[in-house]
Amino acid sequence: MMKIIGKSVQRVDASSKADGSIKYTDDLEFNGLHADVMRSSIAYGKILSIKYDANFDFSEFTIVDYKDIKGSNTNTILMDDQPFLVENIVRFIGEPIILLAHRSKEALLEVKKHISIEYKEYDALYTLQESQERKNIIFGEDNIYKSINTCKGKEPDFSTLNRLTRTYSTPHQEQLYLEPQSMIARYNDGEIKIIGSMQCPFYVESALEILTTKKIEIEQAPTGGAFGGKEDYPSLMAAFVYLLSEKSQEDVKLVYSRRDDIAYTTKRHPAQMQFSSYFDDAGKLYGLEIEIALDGGAYCTLTPVVQARTVLHIAGFYDCEYIKVTSNSYATNTPPNGAFRGFGAPQAIFAIERHIDDIAKKLSLSPIQVREINLPTEHSKSVTDAKIEEYKRVRAIFEKARIASNFDAKYIQKKSKSLTKSGIGMALFMHGGGFIGDGETVLASQVWLELYQDSRVEIKISSVEMGQGAMTVMPQIVADTLKIPIEFVSYHTPNTKEVANSGPTVSSRTVMIVGDLLRQAAKKLQSSLKNYSNISSYQNRVKVYLGEKPSKRFEAQYIKPKHLKWDEDKFYGNGYDGYSLACYVAEVDIDPVTYQVKVKEFYAYNDVGEVINPILAEGQVEGGVAQGIGYALYERIVYEQGRVKNSRLSDYIIPMAADLPKIEIGFLESDASAKGLGELPMDGPAAAIANAVSNALGVAIDSIPILPEDVEQLCR
Amino acid sequence: MQIKCTINAKEFSFDTEVTTRVLDIIRELGFTSVKEGCGEGECGACSLFFNGKLVNSCLLLAPQMQGAEIVTLEGMKEETKLLRENFEKSGAIQCGFCTSGFILRGQEYITHEHNKDAKAIGDALDGNLCRCTGYQKIIEAIQKSMK
Ligand code: FES
Ligand code: FES
Repeated sequence: MMKIIGKSVQRVDASSKADGSIKYTDDLEFNGLHADVMRSSIAYGKILSIKYDANFDFSEFTIVDYKDIKGSNTNTILMDDQPFLVENIVRFIGEPIILLAHRSKEALLEVKKHISIEYKEYDALYTLQESQERKNIIFGEDNIYKSINTCKGKEPDFSTLNRLTRTYSTPHQEQLYLEPQSMIARYNDGEIKIIGSMQCPFYVESALEILTTKKIEIEQAPTGGAFGGKEDYPSLMAAFVYLLSEKSQEDVKLVYSRRDDIAYTTKRHPAQMQFSSYFDDAGKLYGLEIEIALDGGAYCTLTPVVQARTVLHIAGFYDCEYIKVTSNSYATNTPPNGAFRGFGAPQAIFAIERHIDDIAKKLSLSPIQVREINLPTEHSKSVTDAKIEEYKRVRAIFEKARIASNFDAKYIQKKSKSLTKSGIGMALFMHGGGFIGDGETVLASQVWLELYQDSRVEIKISSVEMGQGAMTVMPQIVADTLKIPIEFVSYHTPNTKEVANSGPTVSSRTVMIVGDLLRQAAKKLQSSLKNYSNISSYQNRVKVYLGEKPSKRFEAQYIKPKHLKWDEDKFYGNGYDGYSLACYVAEVDIDPVTYQVKVKEFYAYNDVGEVINPILAEGQVEGGVAQGIGYALYERIVYEQGRVKNSRLSDYIIPMAADLPKIEIGFLESDASAKGLGELPMDGPAAAIANAVSNALGVAIDSIPILPEDVEQLCR
Repeated sequence: MQIKCTINAKEFSFDTEVTTRVLDIIRELGFTSVKEGCGEGECGACSLFFNGKLVNSCLLLAPQMQGAEIVTLEGMKEETKLLRENFEKSGAIQCGFCTSGFILRGQEYITHEHNKDAKAIGDALDGNLCRCTGYQKIIEAIQKSMK
């Protein structure tokens, strides 16, 4: 039997994607009503009246507002602050107020002109700073969604140490999945089924249960990219088509235009991170005091968890005796921020990795020396006072990248603003896989494997394929465990009526957590069949085992490993079940005329434990690095008084093929079990590139994106 | 207005509004390999051959279809076979939403250009966006399909 793990098995969906025959939500057979959303035009205020033009015939339209909701009007994620539809207070520009449906899209454009909404405006908070200054209180008593504070170790004797204080900031970022948010409600004799583009079918199910007080059937359609943007937002999309379908008793489809998608759906949280560090003349760290502020936007959504991840990654995996972190997430009157690949870690990694270089600069040392002297040992403890078990792996990945990129030879420290505009920078970082702390215990994910008479094994889980390759690697894991050809293992887009709740497809947890559960279930299946040595004896064993039964189900459920401890109140213990590690190096050139930074070489070395499918794994790294390069050099959402000014692809710029360097990729050989991979490559590029630009210019870069106008300023 | 045209070598005639985009007409006729990624001529997901030229169908309106010869990926199964196989094998596909656009763009490149240099191919892809792959494997797949 050939080995299946570690082999670049071709994607199971490759050919239907290559010939264009695969059907995404908007490609499905449809003969119903199109939907549109009337949104608030102000950032903060009260609705005084909604007027329907008396001279316009609304009879052909289905119109829904919050009064049509039979259950509760709360899209509960972590808090219940967000309504599905506004009742009277609007909190951001573009907040949904009224839903409309009609057979013709043109009619929908017209009808909006005949509905007018009058507001009383309140003083809105447009920025993180305004919210921190409490210019107005828009949430709770202090605009704060959540505070997470933690402190480990003993304060060192500061008097003998050098001190450096710097503040780093990172911006919004749009996921820009190429398929916009899309959702369909199918109406069949009073029953409604939801089909659409999503990462988490059971999240949608529970949102609709709150909305309707019923369990609604939810099916994922092939999903054209998500990157976190389809973690929580599809719950709103599903609620909208459901309400319209319930009222019209017809099928209803809502597909966002690119402009609406950029302007009104969630983004990466902007962050501000102030570091004060204490270190000796060799650059050895003894203390870190860090203050973090995140902009959560108008509703809480997933903010506290994003924040927890920022805190857990904020000190990297360096050896530092004393680490104190205070963090707050704030409400602003901008569209809610949410999940985006990396989920709080890219912000943190940008800050700590820039800060290491800033320390080096202050001491006139190479950033390699400062990283090296602070590499973790068997005694080192993380920001949450857990042993850094990965210390050997951290050292190994650092060495690998240092040598492979020939960093030491290429690095030249610029004393002041320099004229040669090229530079090199490194980022050494980790990514925690799975939910934070007790998160996986609470999720208690389940998987089912169904064994059929024809010897086929079907994977029944809610984890979705969204481009990352789950539909290929999960069968690899099962086939490998069972020692059967992968053709015997099937896996379809999930439907909540038919599959186990294996949790959301987020947090780099699919292979690491759900894959491990599948392996456990497969082992149960295997031991039930007893010995088989080849495929025909497998088939015989299945016949004997099943007898008359058409099929048999094997299950596994997550149980927290005993050695992991977590104290949520103190924010102490093992933040994650496991970490993946990486060390990236960027070399940049700066065009002396246009001031455009160009990444010339990029080295991405990763330790993700066992690699299930090398080509797909490389693809995750190449794509993640591309998004990281976008984050560092191109992507900027411009808000003007709470309104997104650049909601087109012509003015929100993502990298094109010509903008990207050849990316040198390596995975460290590892016999450790598979760790998270999806998010890791998004975490490091911005820091490595900003370090390289800082090196090129001899000026510390403390925010991204690094646009030509910023570089020009710095060169003056 | 009444439109007559050929799509994938078949005659079509239908009634449509003058303001309807070619993209919508084509998709409604069932050629859903043609996608809408931006609606503004930036992403290339809506690519198709229009009188032999590769264009973004989101920028064309119904009247321009009069008498036109249109070919979508559905009508190019044979020509694109090698390129598609290389996309499948090389890992050039992730979510797949951009893929039909890239296949047509790649096919156009292979047919008219000889430069196998990654940079030249990358430059030729300037009308197509992919958010998943980082483009490297797309470029490799095109290279592998060239003589
Ligand atoms: S949809 Fe036409 S170029 Fe994007
Ligand atoms: S594969 Fe997803 S956009 Fe290209």
